Amino acid sequence: MSAIDVRNLSKHYGDLQANDDLTFTVDEGEVFGYLGPNGAGKTTTIRTLMGFQSPTSGTATLLGHDVRDESELIAAKRHVGFLPSDPAFDETVTGRRILDLHASLKGDSRREELLADFDPPLDRPVREYSSGNVQKLGIVQAFMHDPDLVVLDEPTSGLDPLMQQRFNELVRAERDAGTTVFFSSHVLSEVRRVCDRVAILRGGELVATESIEDLLDRSGKFVRARVGSAVDVAAVDVPGVHDVEASRSDGETDLTFTFTGDVSDLVAWLGTLDLHDVSVEEAPLEDVFARFYGGEV
Amino acid sequence: MFELARYDAEKRVRGAAVLSGGIVALVAMYAWIWPNIESSTVDFDQYIEAFPPALREMFGIRSLGTIEGYLATELYAFVWVLLLGLYFAYAGAGLVASDVERGRMDVLLAMPVSRARVVTEKLLALAVPLLAVNVVTPAAVYVSVVALGESIAVADLVAVHALSVPYLLACAGIGLLASVGASRVSVAQRAAMGVVFGLFLVESVAASTDYSWLGTLSPSRYYEPANVLVDSQYDVGGALALLAGAVALFLAGVWWFRRSDVA
Repeated sequence: MSAIDVRNLSKHYGDLQANDDLTFTVDEGEVFGYLGPNGAGKTTTIRTLMGFQSPTSGTATLLGHDVRDESELIAAKRHVGFLPSDPAFDETVTGRRILDLHASLKGDSRREELLADFDPPLDRPVREYSSGNVQKLGIVQAFMHDPDLVVLDEPTSGLDPLMQQRFNELVRAERDAGTTVFFSSHVLSEVRRVCDRVAILRGGELVATESIEDLLDRSGKFVRARVGSAVDVAAVDVPGVHDVEASRSDGETDLTFTFTGDVSDLVAWLGTLDLHDVSVEEAPLEDVFARFYGGEV
Repeated sequence: MFELARYDAEKRVRGAAVLSGGIVALVAMYAWIWPNIESSTVDFDQYIEAFPPALREMFGIRSLGTIEGYLATELYAFVWVLLLGLYFAYAGAGLVASDVERGRMDVLLAMPVSRARVVTEKLLALAVPLLAVNVVTPAAVYVSVVALGESIAVADLVAVHALSVPYLLACAGIGLLASVGASRVSVAQRAAMGVVFGLFLVESVAASTDYSWLGTLSPSRYYEPANVLVDSQYDVGGALALLAGAVALFLAGVWWFRRSDVA
């Protein structure tokens, strides 16, 4: 049985096709990244999977339970953890009271263990929480009942780098323990650290479902080089170079391009130049979309 | 079961205490004024007779010459029928829409609970203010009446509160329906209070005319505190009608919420 099975799922809001004929499967025990730029329809899919809205057509199952049937979905939800993007809790009550409510409805076998790493000020009312503390509370409630499947919508937004790192460790530990994790993001670098496979959504349509290695190989690097001489765009002829741009000032040339070829070739070619500065970064997700799937993001 | 109701009820304790305290203060104020009215040389009943029938109906004015009539007019017709009716419509309107608007409903519905259960338990939590005002107020009224050296039939006092429960539930039901239907809580609250107030006005104005049937749908038609306190007439049929209306509104709200997309 797959943890999530989406079949020809569409969700339209009037004329807007927020999700159009999506089909993909998330296997048990994998960390699955649901990637796409803002507005691609990631949250729409998640809200349909969680039963907050019904699909216009098509279907989906969570842990084998049809999401269109409320009683089936409730059975699934006993074993599902959920963290919405921008989670919201009652402002007037304390974090502890909120966790107590969650515990009474779904259990809290892992609450203390999670609170050791994610520690919002539990005895203060939520209205005094920073967005990072709200996110920590959200993470604890999502994992506290030791779910088999966790659905996370943009989980690391609002977390500082240390907390992001702890979160990534949590996700890896969960995978090792056999939990399925489905999470959406618009940041490729965030997804690559923890995901096994990704689905890429654009304009409500699924454009690719592949392993993270394949995606990174294809997405390439973003290279910026400052050279102490005049270099023409045409001179950048290493195989795997795309979208070269050059600008000159004070006898230097700023070169930028995306590179998907063999890194050794790139380094060898860079070695022939009078380099003043060079940086090689992961290509931004938007560029990945533009490159491989054509058109505007 | 009832975890959500308990959680919501706890959150309502403070508001219920403030509401009850405010009403007790009003009762004290009315009690303080009463000796002046009673000993006044002005014939209030004659003065009332001069009112247009619609106005008498609107404020439930029967007689200001007795403590029962005075309370029915000043406290029950105004505070109970109008203010508390609006309060429960307002509270009902917040039940679903406020969580949806703030994004809290997602976290709630992600738990293994049905939508029907969420609505039902949220509505149940309104029992806190409902019981608080209906226990505290009659006690305050009784103490005040005795302190003034007057007397009031305890059965009538109990009945006027007991019969108000279906009335207030019907108002909350109107609020609940608005809460499920509106995407924003402020819209739901305005709609619910507008409907309750509008129906109250229509019923009051039309009652003494040939068009009294216009008030059929108004909850205020079925709860007349003056009849209970002054005449000891208990409109049990009206209370049952209100209860049936409240249940129908509740079921409609649940049905609607079950089939809507939570935005």
